[in-house]
Amino acid sequence: MEGAVAKRKVLSSGLTVSQKVFVRSRNGNASKIVREHYLRDDIPCFSQACTQCSELYQSDNGTVISAVLSESPSSLQSSNIGRHYVLLDTNVVLGAIDLLESDSVFFDVVIPQTVLNEVRNKSLPIYTRLRALCKSDDKRIAVFHNEFSSSTFVSRRSAETINDYNDRLIRTTASFYSDHLKSTGIKMIYITNDKNNLELALAESLDAMSLEAYIGLLPNSQELLDLLPTLRTDFSRSGTKLKFPDYYSTSRLLGGIKNGTLYQGIINISSYNSLEGSISVSSLPKPLLILGSENLNRSFSGDTVVIEMLPRDKWKKPSNDIVDEETLGSSENADNDDPESVISDRERRLLTQEAVKAQTSGNDDDRVFPTGKVVGISKRSWRSYVGQISARSVDKTQSSNATRSVFVILMDRSLPKVRIRTGRAKDLVGKRIVVSVDSWPANMSHPEGHYVRTLGDVEDKDAEQEALLLEHDVEYRPFSKNVLECLPKEGHDWKVPEDLNNGDPQLAKRKDLRHKLICSIDPPGCVDIDDALHAEKLPNGNFEVGVHIADVSHFVKANTAIDQEGASRGTSVYLVDKRIDMLPMLLGTDLCSLKPYVDRFAFSVLWELDQDANIVNVSFTKSIIKSREAFAYEQAQNRIDDESQKDDLTKGMRYLLALSKKLKQKRMDAGALNLSSPEVKVHMDSETSDPGEVEIKKLLDTNSLVEEFMLLANISVARKIFDAFPQVAMLRRHASPPQANFEQLNEMLRVRKNMAVSLESSKALADSLDRCVDPNDAYFNTLIRIMATRCMMSAEYFASGNYSYNDFRHYGLAVDIYTHFTSPIRRYCDVVAHRQLAAAINYEPLSIIHRDKTKMDLVVKNINKRHRNAQFAGRASIEYYVGQVMKNAESLEEGYVIKVFSNGFVVLVPKFGVESLIKLNTLTQSGAAKFDEENFKLTFTTEAGEEREIAVFDRIKVQVKSVLDEMTSKRKTQLVLV
Amino acid sequence: MSRFEIYSPEGLRVDGRRWNEIRRFECRINSHPTSSDGSSYVEQGNTKVLCLVQGPMEPALRSQSSTAQGSLIVNVSVTPFATVERNKRPRNDRRIQELSATLTRTFNKAIVLKNYPRSLIQVNLQVLALDGGLLAACTNATTLALMDAGISMYDYISSVTAGIFDGQTPLLDLNTIEENELGFLTVGVIGESEKLALLLMEDRVGMDSLEKVLAIAIAGSHRIRELMDIQVRNYGKHKVAKLANQ
Ligand SMILES: [Zn+2]
Repeated sequence: MEGAVAKRKVLSSGLTVSQKVFVRSRNGNASKIVREHYLRDDIPCFSQACTQCSELYQSDNGTVISAVLSESPSSLQSSNIGRHYVLLDTNVVLGAIDLLESDSVFFDVVIPQTVLNEVRNKSLPIYTRLRALCKSDDKRIAVFHNEFSSSTFVSRRSAETINDYNDRLIRTTASFYSDHLKSTGIKMIYITNDKNNLELALAESLDAMSLEAYIGLLPNSQELLDLLPTLRTDFSRSGTKLKFPDYYSTSRLLGGIKNGTLYQGIINISSYNSLEGSISVSSLPKPLLILGSENLNRSFSGDTVVIEMLPRDKWKKPSNDIVDEETLGSSENADNDDPESVISDRERRLLTQEAVKAQTSGNDDDRVFPTGKVVGISKRSWRSYVGQISARSVDKTQSSNATRSVFVILMDRSLPKVRIRTGRAKDLVGKRIVVSVDSWPANMSHPEGHYVRTLGDVEDKDAEQEALLLEHDVEYRPFSKNVLECLPKEGHDWKVPEDLNNGDPQLAKRKDLRHKLICSIDPPGCVDIDDALHAEKLPNGNFEVGVHIADVSHFVKANTAIDQEGASRGTSVYLVDKRIDMLPMLLGTDLCSLKPYVDRFAFSVLWELDQDANIVNVSFTKSIIKSREAFAYEQAQNRIDDESQKDDLTKGMRYLLALSKKLKQKRMDAGALNLSSPEVKVHMDSETSDPGEVEIKKLLDTNSLVEEFMLLANISVARKIFDAFPQVAMLRRHASPPQANFEQLNEMLRVRKNMAVSLESSKALADSLDRCVDPNDAYFNTLIRIMATRCMMSAEYFASGNYSYNDFRHYGLAVDIYTHFTSPIRRYCDVVAHRQLAAAINYEPLSIIHRDKTKMDLVVKNINKRHRNAQFAGRASIEYYVGQVMKNAESLEEGYVIKVFSNGFVVLVPKFGVESLIKLNTLTQSGAAKFDEENFKLTFTTEAGEEREIAVFDRIKVQVKSVLDEMTSKRKTQLVLV
Repeated sequence: MSRFEIYSPEGLRVDGRRWNEIRRFECRINSHPTSSDGSSYVEQGNTKVLCLVQGPMEPALRSQSSTAQGSLIVNVSVTPFATVERNKRPRNDRRIQELSATLTRTFNKAIVLKNYPRSLIQVNLQVLALDGGLLAACTNATTLALMDAGISMYDYISSVTAGIFDGQTPLLDLNTIEENELGFLTVGVIGESEKLALLLMEDRVGMDSLEKVLAIAIAGSHRIRELMDIQVRNYGKHKVAKLANQ
């Protein structure tokens, strides 16, 4: 952007209009942009002490503007500055957002619009957090639109850089406030961490200071200083050697992306190998590999990066090695940043090995992947990270509490260590802490960050749980006041109205189904009952079957605070001993829950099914039901099996069971997949809530009874809402797996077992999986199913307008269209589906937020992300508890080799559903091993001098124990080959 | 997500206006007296449109003439420098064609065509700069140029856009940035009435917010009619004074 000229013109409406002219370079072309810019005199200063602006606060079409800055703000005793407001610069907001959010500092803050815009352009997440803070009453933060106020807007000078111009706009605002507030005796302190800007501000005799100086004046400065971001004011490029290549300029990046020489995508760094990243680029059939820290060039897993392809002779195969920070063993001294430590010799060796491999195995050219290097980062994925201080980086001999640099090792092993400065390093060792990443300059080997807060001791149950939730970005704080205010006033006393003709037109549209013999079947101890069923025989020999789903959308109306909270949480998260609800308890476990013996609102799907479970017709209605009984799976099974039971409810359940078996058979015939994942359940000792033992979940007929009817309901609803809203229907799809995903598994099967799985259709896949049987090993088939599951695409939510009908297909279920409708208490997709279905049957109009395509895209994107995070969090929780169980009980178990690397192999232990890496260097001293890549085989000599051969699919005996990982302080399973 | 706050919680839009404020509106009538029978120039914010009217005149082709009433042809062309990207827009650009068709339909009803049997009225619109509200600016410019040409009309057609932010707040007279973000509509209002001669919806505006959006769009059109009327009357006075001097 370049010089701006502004002419001003006063309009009859009292506004002044000027033109903002700037040159934007986009796609490599420069273009001149002219935008209108209106200046006004009616923007108040937001101070309650000010009398001049009092007439400017008025409600404007629903926007209520009121003075938020306190009449008597806090004062600084330790200096001559008395009562004051603060005005924050962009660098302070970006760096110290955590501090801004804390409730011990920063009240009565003015954020100029210029700062808000800069923050928004630099980091949307921080912008969102800042905007949320502006809403909270107790922080008293006001956004002052300085660029729209005629008293604070200044025009850009010719040849003034945009940064200098913005700085001047902010200083002008600070100066305006000082003058404006003079009569009130309140000072405005301008806080900036930009050295030049600070000097300019002081020269203009503003009350300005650095963040550190300001914090130093506060009474509680000691505890706050640690929270300061690292901002190197003494940073100079000339003296230091660059450790990473510089990023390309923005215009070069944009130009390159446009003309196809550069690619943009989200980088994913392997959790086995922190030096290997990959990016899927739409124009290439295979993902691009990024190998080595220089090529990764400071990117974090999840960043949106721009990459340049490397020449063909540098293309490689994905690594067969395991590489982590431990292997690299880079410098542990955080203060002494040795330039040579970036590419350690070990790393060089690994790279050389790799290069040789790619060149020598020229025969299988299709297994060579193109490689690239990161030349720019479009968007950082930086958030708060959980980790702990690397004890090795703390100098234990140091006695004083002097601030010094230490490394923090993050729990996510694909991420690099973060350097922070703290004076409490010794106290923080052995604690789980939260850190924020601030920057990663090209001359630093590790990113810079700062301490945010302590969660607790490593391995403390609560600290670990909170760490796990934070790591998976799960919102676990209690519901806010305005969310709870959306709940019915009657609370637990809420009841279905007795008089159904009480004049409420919506109530009159409900069907009274209380005479139907409805029951629910759930896991034992289930309190949030989403669904209930009934079946009865019709005079014509067909069956009437009803699936009744909790009517959440009756209580959660679109676009209310509770709806927004639910949409942002997206799903409930189930940990081993804790559930984080998507909606407040009152709804989930009481008012919406289809509890037995009481009247409840429901959304019902009613079918007429013939003897073979074909749908004769289907209808949908909002209803009132009364469940007769809430069964656990086992209870229901026993009741069905008990021939002495001859009542109508049991009969209904037997019809349901019989029909569900037919439905299942039909699905299987159509090619539905029966995949496996080791679903493990941890038994908790109910008194101490200590994990007791681990077992694999077992399935009963009644499990699949419920499942079949839920699938049927989801499919029927999907058809209906797609019919009514072809562009925005909330659906779920599961793409067929690309051939490439199965290449390795098939190769392993072919070489080791002379078997194959077919990918021609889901039916072919299902059948070929059935054929993968080892007569000597009953578990082998399940193992292959587990491995096949990992090659599958994951199912995803989508708005129907984004795909053509053929791509709606749910591969795993073998149906052409699918959605989630049956668990609205714990999934937001279902809430949307409920609203769309309600609109489709003319029960109530559909809110704009589910009709607008762009809004739906945002909803879908978020719930896909939340859904994934919830799954990961759940798995991590099980992993943690399995680790705790095994801490007390080492055992000898059977395991299967599922992956072989040149320097180790991965073993899955079915009994605990855990898998772990066994590194070669733990087995042999010489390190000498023969890796037969074609046959997925590793031959080595054990320490006892015995020759051993380990190949994929081998069944081996391993000793299972739980160890505390020295690096991440995460308890993990360790397997020892026996 | 947009790079900008389209409507901030403080109630301000990207360019500093409030929800119910129109942009700078400036117009001239009889801007090009020598090259046409009627002309006008309209600036609505940074959207700039020049309109030249030829006629009523003898149609060049027989097929264009009707004994019952006059016929109307509207041509729109956009100069290459009107937008940031400077792409060449072919004359048959679908959007431009749609624009001409909409204008023709609107003014077929606004002009007293039965007064002009066997005649042709040709409206040529030249878009010089584009920053949202193109149809509205073209409508206003056409109204003024037709008046300048002395062609009988039932009343003013004044036009403006309005959109809806977040399904909640209606925003009046959108610029390009806002048009790209919001569902909006363009109305053309007949004189001081609340009757619509034109209603074109771009993207979706929900039924529940339609009333709010229409209300503000009609009020905005009335404001624009006032501003146009002032110009027309000034020009009238000026012309009368000139005649008196002769
Ligand atoms: Zn004031």
